[in-house]
Amino acid sequence: MSRLKLYTAIYVVLFVSATVQVLVEGADMAYNTAFAIIIALSFVKAAIVAAYYQHLRWEPRSVTYLIGIGLLAALALAIAASYSIT
Amino acid sequence: MTAHDDTTHGETAGSESRPDEESDARTDGGALEPASGHAEAHDDGHDDHHGLGPTSSVKRWFVTTNHKDIGILYLVTSLGFLMMGGALALLMRAQLWSPRAPGAGPLSAFAYNQAVSVHGLIMVFWFLSPFAFGFANYVVPLQLGAKDLAFPRLNALSYWGYLASGLLLFASFFQGGTFAGGWTMYAPLNLPTFTPSVGGSAAVLALMLFVASVTVSSVNFLTTMHRMRAKGLTLRRMPLFSWTILLTVWMMLFAFAALLAALLILSADRLIGTTYFAQNGAAGAVLWTHLFWFFGHPEVYIVFFPALGVMAETFQTFTGRRIVGRKWFIAAMVLVALQSFIVWMHHMFLTSINLEIKTLFMATTIGISLPFDLMVFSLIYTMVKGRIRFKTPFLFSFGGLLLFIIGGITGVFLGAVVLDYEFRGTYWVVAHFHYVMVGGVTALIGGLYYWYPKITGRMYDEFLGKLHFGLYFVGFNLLYFPMFVAWETPRRVFDYSEGMTPWHRLATIGAVILGGSFLVMIYNLVVSAYSGEIAGDNPWKYSSTAEWAVSSPPPLENFPGVPTYGSGRLEFLGGSSDALDTTDDDGDGDGPAAAADGGETPTAGAGDAIANADAAMSESVSADAAMDEAARADAAMDEAASADAAMAESATADAVTGSAVREDVAPEPSIPADEAHEDGVHASHASIWPALIGGSFLLLFLGLSGYTGGSFPEGAMGTAYAAATGLGFLAVLGSLIGMARERFVGPAGPFGESWPFAKVSNMKTGMWIFLASDVVLFGAFIGAYVFLRFASGWVAWEPIPNNIMPGLINTYILLTSSFTVILALEAAERESRKGVVASLLATLLLGLGFLGNKAIEWEHLFHQGIWLSENVRASTFFLTTGLHGAHVIVGLLVTLYMIPRAWSGAYLGESEPIEYFGLYWHFVDIVWLFLFPLFYIL
Repeated sequence: MSRLKLYTAIYVVLFVSATVQVLVEGADMAYNTAFAIIIALSFVKAAIVAAYYQHLRWEPRSVTYLIGIGLLAALALAIAASYSIT
Repeated sequence: MTAHDDTTHGETAGSESRPDEESDARTDGGALEPASGHAEAHDDGHDDHHGLGPTSSVKRWFVTTNHKDIGILYLVTSLGFLMMGGALALLMRAQLWSPRAPGAGPLSAFAYNQAVSVHGLIMVFWFLSPFAFGFANYVVPLQLGAKDLAFPRLNALSYWGYLASGLLLFASFFQGGTFAGGWTMYAPLNLPTFTPSVGGSAAVLALMLFVASVTVSSVNFLTTMHRMRAKGLTLRRMPLFSWTILLTVWMMLFAFAALLAALLILSADRLIGTTYFAQNGAAGAVLWTHLFWFFGHPEVYIVFFPALGVMAETFQTFTGRRIVGRKWFIAAMVLVALQSFIVWMHHMFLTSINLEIKTLFMATTIGISLPFDLMVFSLIYTMVKGRIRFKTPFLFSFGGLLLFIIGGITGVFLGAVVLDYEFRGTYWVVAHFHYVMVGGVTALIGGLYYWYPKITGRMYDEFLGKLHFGLYFVGFNLLYFPMFVAWETPRRVFDYSEGMTPWHRLATIGAVILGGSFLVMIYNLVVSAYSGEIAGDNPWKYSSTAEWAVSSPPPLENFPGVPTYGSGRLEFLGGSSDALDTTDDDGDGDGPAAAADGGETPTAGAGDAIANADAAMSESVSADAAMDEAARADAAMDEAASADAAMAESATADAVTGSAVREDVAPEPSIPADEAHEDGVHASHASIWPALIGGSFLLLFLGLSGYTGGSFPEGAMGTAYAAATGLGFLAVLGSLIGMARERFVGPAGPFGESWPFAKVSNMKTGMWIFLASDVVLFGAFIGAYVFLRFASGWVAWEPIPNNIMPGLINTYILLTSSFTVILALEAAERESRKGVVASLLATLLLGLGFLGNKAIEWEHLFHQGIWLSENVRASTFFLTTGLHGAHVIVGLLVTLYMIPRAWSGAYLGESEPIEYFGLYWHFVDIVWLFLFPLFYIL
């Protein structure tokens, strides 16, 4: 598969999964289940964009770790702060 | 072709080698004559080429991008801010001479609050870190073996942004009074309800501009330090000062991003009326403390680590002993840098956070003191094993260590939840953090004396230096120790109980002595700069880092050749005499510039000579023992000590007088010339744009400070503020375009050690590092939203847009635009001009579509009466998606800049700019992938 085809396929996947997120919300599902699916889809989409459109797959792994550390810091702040609420 | 072929990474400019014209001259042992007329002719040529005047010309300091010049600018400017912060402190101490009722004494109540707040802000932000980064700028590239930082113009831009922010802070005093809510800017005191002056907003904006400069600087330093080390200088062998700076910038990158988020939100609350921190909000005040201290605790180490680096360097140099347990010392620092991000809530024990998290954070806080214990004992043991020479730099470093120990121990009290209930908000806290922070300053002052001969080429007066230390140390302890005794004084309050008056008077006397001691320092340093003894390359007996192996001051491009540690010691490959031209262009032969004037190149510089002496004496200086670990390793071995010291001393003296012979440098004729000196690819050293951008931002932010509650005030002042905003915005845009269009040649590879980004170019590394900080910025915004939503009940919180469609359409649009950017990259690689232009144009149109769609959506919401100040739900929606929208606008401006260039054939086969832009654009896309579900669906 040429790169152009790959990029196009990824574009289609992203497009569809954004639609799925909205459909999940519309489906009659428990809030927590819907929440989990929607957020998981966001992370998957983000990973796909980063891996292919930003070429992280073909970069040295250190670049991925760099972004991972940033993400970890942000998550630590959000989760610990939210957990601290009395 | 070259000794470092194997590390060539295909850099662009100047990577191909060329036989050095003058290599034949070096086969005789390197006896070139840099001070001859030939060299002077080169001098002039350089000035023309680099556009830099002599150091005596004012113009040079506005256009320079050289790291050493910038370092000096940082040092001088930060010392200016030290004076300003010190003056405010003396005003406070004058007010505290007696307990007073509001209005009595030299300061009004409002003036006292301003003095307290801005004293803290100036000392922490505008003095401490920039002072340390003066050294970092000057010394780190020298220690790394780099000719400059990776992005010299951005380095200048950081400085000018710093200066502009400082001037704005100064101006804020005259805008109806500056910010008066304490340096921690706690909510809701930080809102216009309580701090209504225009100057209050100006101070917040000044800090924001400062943070932006810091971020630029962090990206620059990280790229440089990871990518541009000399061959053989692995991280394990990197000198300790560079290590501390490396860890400092890593912490800065992430911590300051959180502060930027906090300040953006605060500015929005103050200027356009969002309600994040509102008094009646669910948890606004706690949100501020989270955001602020997530930054604030790493900040403690951000200001302290460089001081630790100075301690490590000076302890090694002045005890003649390599630091004990170097590996563990570094490991402990890495551990602290990591842990610093998980202790922030110990600043919040008296807020409404729950007991479980308090306990957890008490544990992490006690945990972070352990690596510090290791470092302290390592420093102490280094003194025990070595032989101390009590020169001024060592006195200050040693004093700094003592003060830090006291500061650290008293801090453990505050880390315990129960004790903190009692101590919080008292002078115990004030005394503790002054012992820590000003303890750090003490070591940094030691650094100033330590590197002074390197920077100026002349020696300071040792007696005055010691006098300074005596006054400083006595003044310091007279000032801060009584605060422990009078700890029950409430912090930031000028009224206290009568019984504590003697202690406060003692403190005031100490403050005057401490402040006065700096007059001695300034006199000493200014006079010595003109009439001090010539210092030579290496005035310290056991110094061993690379900055001491070049002349004082070092030449413009630092090294007489390509520095390498490939053989286990420092060598300069392919040296040529023009590399020895010194930056001190006004030196006319008898000045410090001519210090290396014995007539020989000090290519086998002092450090090298030390290494040689050491190798001769000791068992083995293996490849593993970089020159960082030179003479001192053996100096302390008891029997051998004196002989060894004598050897090292004579070798050093040799090097200083320039008579060291470069026997260890293989004089191969085909060694690559210093790339920057290749004809036609001279590295640039001058640009006026950074200074202009800094000035433009000053104007813009000054104008914005007048904007309150969604509008400029009525009347002439309002018009002036509006005009300044408009002009400032245009000036920022214009000067940014000017800088983008300027042809500027930065340092080019190949570089020696580039772990862990060996296969990523400087530009791409910088871009990714910047994006990592942007992850934290958006993470903090999203975190703020999540926090507030949790605090007010997650499920009950309805999304603001009642229609999901505009969000979904915008998701499609952004995804498509990501796709067109990747198409542009493909087209550029296939050298299709039409393809590039069409793809970029499509991106531009899609981006405009995104913004247009958003505008329509917002318009609808406004019509329904939903405005950003409506409630905290609306505030988070408009501000977070607004920040994302601002990122889209920046991206579109870049696209707009790129389209005409693509039309004229740029990027074909040179697709890197499109790739770097793509990294940014896809990141903006990714952010939306989270914002859409969070703000529309869930």
